[in-house]
Amino acid sequence: MRIIPRLDIKNDNVIKGINFEGLRVVGNPNEIAKKYYEEGADELIYSDCVASLYGRNSLTDLVKRAVKDIFIPITVAGGIRTEIDANLLMQNGSDKLAINTELFNNEELGGQLVKKFGSQSIILSIQAKKISKNSWEAYKNFGRDKTNMDVIEWVKKMSVYNFGELLITSIDADGISNGFDVELFEKICQNTNIPIIACGGFGKLDHIKELKKYANVDAISLSKALHYKKITINEIKNFLKKIDE
Amino acid sequence: MKNFSLYGLPEKVSFCKLCVISNQRPSSTIEFKNSDGKNKSGIAIDDKGICDACSYTKKKLEIDWKKREKQLFEFLSKYRKNNGEPDCIVPSSGGKDSSFTAHILKNKYKMNPLTVTWAPSMWTEIGFENFNNLSKIGGINNLLITPNGKLHRYLTKTSFLNLGHPFQPFIHGQKIIGPKIAKKLNIQLIIYGENQAEYGNKLEDNLTYYMNNQFFCVDDNFNFKDIKFGGKSIQNILDEKNFNFNDFGAYLPLRKKEVLESKIQMIFLGYFEKWDPQECFYYASENTGFKPAKERSDGTYSKYTEIDDKIVPMHFYTTYIKFGIGRATYDAAQEIRNNKITREEGKNLVKKFDGEFPKTYFKDFLDYIDISENEFFKKIDDLRSPHLWEKKDSKWVLKQSII
Repeated sequence: MRIIPRLDIKNDNVIKGINFEGLRVVGNPNEIAKKYYEEGADELIYSDCVASLYGRNSLTDLVKRAVKDIFIPITVAGGIRTEIDANLLMQNGSDKLAINTELFNNEELGGQLVKKFGSQSIILSIQAKKISKNSWEAYKNFGRDKTNMDVIEWVKKMSVYNFGELLITSIDADGISNGFDVELFEKICQNTNIPIIACGGFGKLDHIKELKKYANVDAISLSKALHYKKITINEIKNFLKKIDE
Repeated sequence: MKNFSLYGLPEKVSFCKLCVISNQRPSSTIEFKNSDGKNKSGIAIDDKGICDACSYTKKKLEIDWKKREKQLFEFLSKYRKNNGEPDCIVPSSGGKDSSFTAHILKNKYKMNPLTVTWAPSMWTEIGFENFNNLSKIGGINNLLITPNGKLHRYLTKTSFLNLGHPFQPFIHGQKIIGPKIAKKLNIQLIIYGENQAEYGNKLEDNLTYYMNNQFFCVDDNFNFKDIKFGGKSIQNILDEKNFNFNDFGAYLPLRKKEVLESKIQMIFLGYFEKWDPQECFYYASENTGFKPAKERSDGTYSKYTEIDDKIVPMHFYTTYIKFGIGRATYDAAQEIRNNKITREEGKNLVKKFDGEFPKTYFKDFLDYIDISENEFFKKIDDLRSPHLWEKKDSKWVLKQSII
């Protein structure tokens, strides 16, 4: 199972909210990324959390700088609206791109990007809000706006575009450190064969064990527990080795 | 049409250079004396182009918060009871600010707060959940006061139709209920979260931690029947409508004499603890089970401010119509001051969200005050000040905007 720290970026800072709300500053993106890389992260996700809000994408320079001393795959999420945006990020060192909001205006974009950069480089990102038992709605604009689209329906609908991975984040679990929304991941696993990155809710090692019981996810993504030094990547990796034995 | 403000505000709109607020932002009024809403004073913007709220933000940087914290501990020691009785009241709707206030008073300052809630006109689902969580998860005692709903609907309607201010009866209740309950329960201290001066009432209001009692009590010889809702006195309402004086019981403030005799004081926690609304949100999420709304509120980008009453989006829509200041402006101004976003970002957010029609609870609002859609839109157009609005291609646009 890959371990992928997620860095929510606003302007020059890594920030961390709760339930996709709040802009509390955690620190400098370059320093934090380097630290997680050195600690053994498998990949990194940079997520521009205000890109959709302001209609911009400001991560190009950050990625350009990061690839000088970080040698693991980098995914950029947030504000990718056109092939031009995508190109710019890929040319500057991004290995993968995750898209969400723009797909609700132009779902073809998924297909275009997969065609251009290959399935392995394009991730379908979904921000899932629990509506009722066994039902989740996809959100856009960093968890601010409804789409009236059921998450499972959306996964099925988007499967024609051959996304390489799914980055699924539970809005309800984000920043709460109280465990993954295991039912969400169980349900998605039952409905797709695309590899899944599970995000939102990691607080302690047992949460991974719980997740694995219900869902066969390929990777987990986490931020708060690492930012606030509740855990190290090494501890997670050792734990994974232990439970896999 | 002649250029003038229907509300007595400056004809020329000017914007603060540091945030996005304009001189049209009215200062708090004593709502129960508000007869026509026409003599408002706006937030002061100084000769350098900086508003009072931003000036205060600068001043906050010089405050020694450790010293203030100590000062509060000392102040509270005069009130702490430790006998099972509540020793202070925190007026609260279960929002992030009052949740923070009540919880920190209990846990850091070792007080025994009682939160007193003046019920929202129409609870939102998340608002009611947060209200319950403050007790269930935050461990805080609560007393919920739900005023006569039939009367409250009528007062809300009157306030909307006469002043374009549907939130007025709620604001009135929220201000008077703390002291009223304090007197009944023999509690001498009422603690609010932030001072409204954080948002631009007079700068000198922030120099003290006491709230001026004119906002929550009336003179000894004041006739209760002169209290006004939507500019209409209780006497007028009794003459015209099928309500009796007892129906107004919950709305009657204390008299000055009672406040003085019972030694009731009202203070602001924001004087002693550095006030930052987003940090209140984080604190409440972590300690009292507070959750943001499931989506951004109409008219703004945020999910964490004033989410408990379905009438709030309409309240901010009316401020947009009357003063050209919508919910995104209020949110962005606050977040700029607290260093969360830049002014440029704030301007973009204003452009994107300010004045967005409050569609989510529009039907609920019409049902609540029992008017038709036509009547509503006619009223809205009557509320537009000539110096702010003009019609272009049959659409209303702001003449003087920040964008």
